[in-house]
Amino acid sequence: MANTKTSLNRSRCERSKHLCVAPTFVKDGKALWAIIDLTDHRLVGIRWTKVGDMGKKVPLVTEKRLQDDKITSCYCEVEQPLKKNGWDMKYMLTSSDGLQISNVSFNGKKILRNAKLVDWHVSYSGTDGFGYSDAVGCPYFSQSAVVAWDIPKVIKLKDDANNEIGFVLEQTFRSEGWPTPCNYNYNQRYEFYNDGRFRIAAASLGRGCGNDGTYRPVFRIAFEGDKNNFYENQNSSWLPWQKEKWQLQNSQTNYTAEGYQYKITDGASGFYLTPGNGQFKDGGKNDNSYVYVTKNVPGREEGESDLVTIGPCCNTDYKQGPEKFIEPDAEDIQNASLIVWYVGQMKNNGNKGQEYCWAESILENGVYTTKVYPCFCGPMFTPVKP
Amino acid sequence: MDYQSNNCKANPAFIQGFGYQPKFSYLSTSDERIMGLVLIESTQPGNPKAAISKKMQHPSWLAGGWLAPILIAQTGDIYTAPAPFINILNNPINNNNTIYKVDAKTGVMDVFLKLPAADSINTENPFGIIGMALLCETSTLYVSTLAGSTRHKEKGHIYAIDLNTGKIIDQINNLDVMGMGISYVTGKRKLYFGTGRSSDVFEVTLNKEGKFSGKPSLAFTLQDLGLRGDDKVRKIKTDENGNLLVHGMEFNYNLIAPREKQETLYKFVYDEEEKKWEWVQ
Repeated sequence: MANTKTSLNRSRCERSKHLCVAPTFVKDGKALWAIIDLTDHRLVGIRWTKVGDMGKKVPLVTEKRLQDDKITSCYCEVEQPLKKNGWDMKYMLTSSDGLQISNVSFNGKKILRNAKLVDWHVSYSGTDGFGYSDAVGCPYFSQSAVVAWDIPKVIKLKDDANNEIGFVLEQTFRSEGWPTPCNYNYNQRYEFYNDGRFRIAAASLGRGCGNDGTYRPVFRIAFEGDKNNFYENQNSSWLPWQKEKWQLQNSQTNYTAEGYQYKITDGASGFYLTPGNGQFKDGGKNDNSYVYVTKNVPGREEGESDLVTIGPCCNTDYKQGPEKFIEPDAEDIQNASLIVWYVGQMKNNGNKGQEYCWAESILENGVYTTKVYPCFCGPMFTPVKP
Repeated sequence: MDYQSNNCKANPAFIQGFGYQPKFSYLSTSDERIMGLVLIESTQPGNPKAAISKKMQHPSWLAGGWLAPILIAQTGDIYTAPAPFINILNNPINNNNTIYKVDAKTGVMDVFLKLPAADSINTENPFGIIGMALLCETSTLYVSTLAGSTRHKEKGHIYAIDLNTGKIIDQINNLDVMGMGISYVTGKRKLYFGTGRSSDVFEVTLNKEGKFSGKPSLAFTLQDLGLRGDDKVRKIKTDENGNLLVHGMEFNYNLIAPREKQETLYKFVYDEEEKKWEWVQ
């Protein structure tokens, strides 16, 4: 190869932290950049740019820019289709509501209009009123404080015997400086099972600004159908909710033998809702969740499009945002189009042996690696058998 | 007034009235735990690690939510504007093009001027006013705003505002201008500014009335400089010799916390022989 100019000399790629170099090849008024990772000996990516006009310099092409450009053009600006194991849906990254799935159906039956992660509320109890309402979403032109770190991934879901039982759609949102203090890492995942169950979940992987933090992710789940009813389990019978309301999962909560707390049905079919109680084998403990049910009225904007910050960081009660669609006049929700809001509450812990919603750098064989202690939360939905 | 550095700010009288020593006091909008404007008395102003003797906030200083630029005029009046911090809970997008004024005598903050609203509010871009600069001899306030810009349409502005009348006297359209600064070069007053779209720094000549004369042109660039090589201009200051002190940082039109972004200071000196700005450190 003939000698050529290079950029990024003596510098590290922003995300891999490996030494990188970018030889550029100029031809016919255009330049081809090829970013090379000198540690892994791999091509990170290529980009054609126009050679600058009117004295302006061509914007620098870097590993991070290539990755963020791909996330933006492929997942923030267009919806992606996903068909797998009987499931059919579209998904995309939003400006501030995380990874959204929409038009979800299973074996041809419509299930969800959409689902998304509206906010992460992070409060630090040691300092009353201190914390952040973090939105997660796209890296450019967004209202997100923690942005997509890579592209969404589809991963096989396996049981303990290594049998494939479904798939996961997963997205990571990360601060550049994580896992150093006051940097955040959030994982959002949708699990779809071959038997028709699905789970909507998210986790904090720390590390945040202190070991006295409580993370509260706010999920919005919009079900298909305009004749739905919502019920709570009470001593093995199903009590219908007449009006919009909220409820806290606590030590008094009544579950069925299968662990169901609620069900949503249109009479013919529906789903049981099982909150997290540490049973999902993902490191999660009790969700201590608030569940809100609100009525969806077409044309009335209650979060169907991208929601700006729904609530403050540091309320420790039910006032996490969705209540503003309930109060002061709760509407009738019988035989209606319904939205289920689910807010988990996970208290972090940085103590040795008890780490939760936490991450730390440890020295292993002379190299710093990051050990994570995710605190997953989120409900499982199980089909109601006719 | 120091003509070279274009520095004419006066001490606001209310500082003393509030029981603070002007010599040891400063105003801040960057306290992560206190929204709005804060008056701080420090044992050593200018040193962020110095002990803070006391701090206070007039109730009206919360009106704009989280704020960003602070500009003190020769009257002692203070001009500032809202800017979202982490989220827009306290900074609704429809208020992000509002200039607030803190009265030099009373310390009360009130709306000074609402700049023209963007054509449409979009959820992509939470930003409005970003930068401010003052031309001392004409009392012209230059305000840059990104309101209404989207990834594919650059719709920001610079407005030139006569502080005596509160009227917009000139404007540059369709440029996402961020940090700005004023210097005196080759016998001309010039406004220097960076944009949210590139690391380039542009200049435009200011006439005797403080209006823009001619079109902006490229002055120099931050590209390939510093740790990141693609910094955007957060603010520009002019030192007593007319050199430009350019503060650069990462900016991608999102709400990543400022503490997660490193800032680099670049010093540029004008080379009279070569007729161009040279980066010196």
